[in-house]
Amino acid sequence: MIRSLTDRIDSLPTDEIGGFKVRPGKPLPFGVCHAPNGLNFSIYTSAGTACTLVLFRRGEAQPFAELPFPTNYRIGDVFCMVVFGLDDEDLEYGYRIDGPFDPAAGHRFDSTKVLMDPYARQIAGRDVWGEEPDWQGTYPYRARVSFDDFDWEGEGPLEIAPENLVIYEAHVRGFTRSESSGCKHPGTYAALVEKIPYLKELGVNAIELMPIYEFDEFENSRLHPDTGQRLYNFWGYSTVGFFAPKAGYAATGRFGMQVDEFKQLIKSLHKAGIEVILDVVFNHTAEGNDQGPTLSFKGLDNKTYYMLTPQGYYFNFSGTGNTLNCNNPVVRSLVLDCLRYWASEYHIDGFRFDLASILGRDPWGAPLSNPPLLESLAFDPILSSCKLIAEAWDAGGLYQVGSFPAFGRWGEWNGKYRDCARRYLKGDDGMVGELAQRVQGSPDLYRHSGRSPATSVNFITCHDGFTLADLVSFNGKHNEANGESNRDGGDDNHSWNCGAEGWSDDPGILTLRKRQMMNAMAILLTSRGIPMILMGDEFGRSQHGNNNAYCLDSAISWVDWGLLESNADLYRVVKALIHFRKEHLALRVNNFDGIPNEHLPCCSFHGNQPWQPDWSDQSRQLAWMMAAREPNNPLSTDIVYVATNMAHYASWFTLPDPPPTYQWHLCFNTGDQNQPVHHDQPVFEDSGLLLGERSVVILTASIVP
Amino acid sequence: MTLSIVTTANDGYHVITLEGEVDTKTAPALLQALTEIELSGITDLRIEMFAVGFLSSAGLRALVFAKQKMPHESRLVLIGAAESIADVIQKTGLTQAVMLVNSHDEIG
Repeated sequence: MIRSLTDRIDSLPTDEIGGFKVRPGKPLPFGVCHAPNGLNFSIYTSAGTACTLVLFRRGEAQPFAELPFPTNYRIGDVFCMVVFGLDDEDLEYGYRIDGPFDPAAGHRFDSTKVLMDPYARQIAGRDVWGEEPDWQGTYPYRARVSFDDFDWEGEGPLEIAPENLVIYEAHVRGFTRSESSGCKHPGTYAALVEKIPYLKELGVNAIELMPIYEFDEFENSRLHPDTGQRLYNFWGYSTVGFFAPKAGYAATGRFGMQVDEFKQLIKSLHKAGIEVILDVVFNHTAEGNDQGPTLSFKGLDNKTYYMLTPQGYYFNFSGTGNTLNCNNPVVRSLVLDCLRYWASEYHIDGFRFDLASILGRDPWGAPLSNPPLLESLAFDPILSSCKLIAEAWDAGGLYQVGSFPAFGRWGEWNGKYRDCARRYLKGDDGMVGELAQRVQGSPDLYRHSGRSPATSVNFITCHDGFTLADLVSFNGKHNEANGESNRDGGDDNHSWNCGAEGWSDDPGILTLRKRQMMNAMAILLTSRGIPMILMGDEFGRSQHGNNNAYCLDSAISWVDWGLLESNADLYRVVKALIHFRKEHLALRVNNFDGIPNEHLPCCSFHGNQPWQPDWSDQSRQLAWMMAAREPNNPLSTDIVYVATNMAHYASWFTLPDPPPTYQWHLCFNTGDQNQPVHHDQPVFEDSGLLLGERSVVILTASIVP
Repeated sequence: MTLSIVTTANDGYHVITLEGEVDTKTAPALLQALTEIELSGITDLRIEMFAVGFLSSAGLRALVFAKQKMPHESRLVLIGAAESIADVIQKTGLTQAVMLVNSHDEIG
């Protein structure tokens, strides 16, 4: 006789609590999961003395049942119980924990609060972006049961080699919220699906999404003191639930279908050959400091989850009120479980860790030389093909670009690349030497520790700071719209307005700005490492000088798709540069010693005269030539020569001699307003060329046919 | 709201006619109706949706459940689903499981 699973006697209840059939549960996995005939609930608290499971019907204010865990349902510090006969589609659940309220000792238990499961895989309560909740509600963020029945049709992570990536940083809502996007449901995951053909045409092969974990857009929300406009937590760097996609970003969020809609986005991106990298925030949570709300961790086990001073106050290395206690072993497991879940259940290709240096601090805040969390992530079997990228600094003053504990595995947002490229672009003194390091993948930062060029995520702009158009249009920030009298946001922008602050109709200034944008993209996309482009920069998106638009859900922070037409010339150049990068292996070598070839060094530097770069402080000219043997054709070497002139006058560059049987072809000249891109790549027979003021020329050498 | 469910067996295919709203309260009834027909032996199941105003996630799950119980080479057709319902199905990637048509005539 074949017995079915439902016949198993371990799937039958042993006890009854409040009219519900139950049995002792399994402690792992944490969270809720389906057990035969029931749901298994498992929750951790080390200092809590008792636990009650609170059950709600969907959307109802009052629970329909509260089931106290019998003492024999606790194993170690974990309460676990299987409850039978629940409707998993209609269920929302939370916990009450008893325990001491003694802040000085680190404990903040309050059994009047219903707490969200930190492992909640789906969260209800904020289903539509910007819809104000009932602030008096007993249970604002409501854990639900999610289903893992999505049909991926064989789709999986793409595992593109890091050196071949071109990353596009985007904000789910800001990318399509503007009516100009032409999308059916602006500002959602579904709308992003509609823009995939655009991304594919542009040529990027990875999209890095700013936070999509459930967060509260109303956190610190306020009205602008002058305009009365509502300000939000628009960027979302403040997590409510680490395992749940933000419902308000889903067009189907009101139906509770955000899990499927987000998976559909990932599947569609993968089908288009585009990887998905999530910007993850493990350094703090949305619970703030002692003034903040009690949503989950604070009431479950405050002392475990947060870094506290000996007096029980919250450490604030994140600049946002609290700091997650990442090197406590329990929290470490939570982070690891979380990333494994996204990698396996959502097929995520990589993670970018916000303020990652915090993850390397011990529970008292001191930087660890060998941080166990970073090591665990680096060697995890499930994450082994995921990209791990650190924002290698924190708000507590730790700056680790080049020294982040990488375990041979971690990449970094290269903040030094950004600063150097910006300063060289605007014509600062003394930048040529550093630029030579940056364009090779920053060997000065990464070589000594055995890391490679693709460790470096190169960028000139990102969500944090000026957009590219603003970088060439403003000398200073203009953050009045943020309602803090322009005090917020960084002042180290290294920007230059090209002759007038902000809006201008001077054709000379406008031409120069456009050329500077092309120059920036040309340098970025001919550097070794992983280039990252900020959404909309490819067609000159402006935030009107705002360099910290974290709180703006308005036309300032939304991509204006009308610019795609008005700045079509810039867009065409950026698109051509991305495709050029893909065609030229020499730009993507991921080894500081290069790929041997018989003709040329892997990377060499030049000035007005070949092989003679001018390293002096006054120099504003640098050319680099990159070469790599084609793997499929050892007789052929890929050669790219990039000449840059950031002086306010034209400058003659004599070209290096190409190897015998090779000749030069002209591909780009940003100084040629009428034809910055040469798609036909004409043969270039002159011995050199006059580079216009502030312009970049790119040539390739190939074998004479 | 209530949901009326009528199942008819035809030559070569089954039709389930729904009227009303499929929400968390009524979805279990739909699931029950789907379980009662021998899904493992049905290769063509057509669900008439002309008079359905709302289909909740629980209702969608019931459809996915049905498709998974049906043979590999089978089809599950939704006829006349409102645009809002069709929209949700498309956005969440469920077009894998169900085929959307406007009328009986469109079924080949």
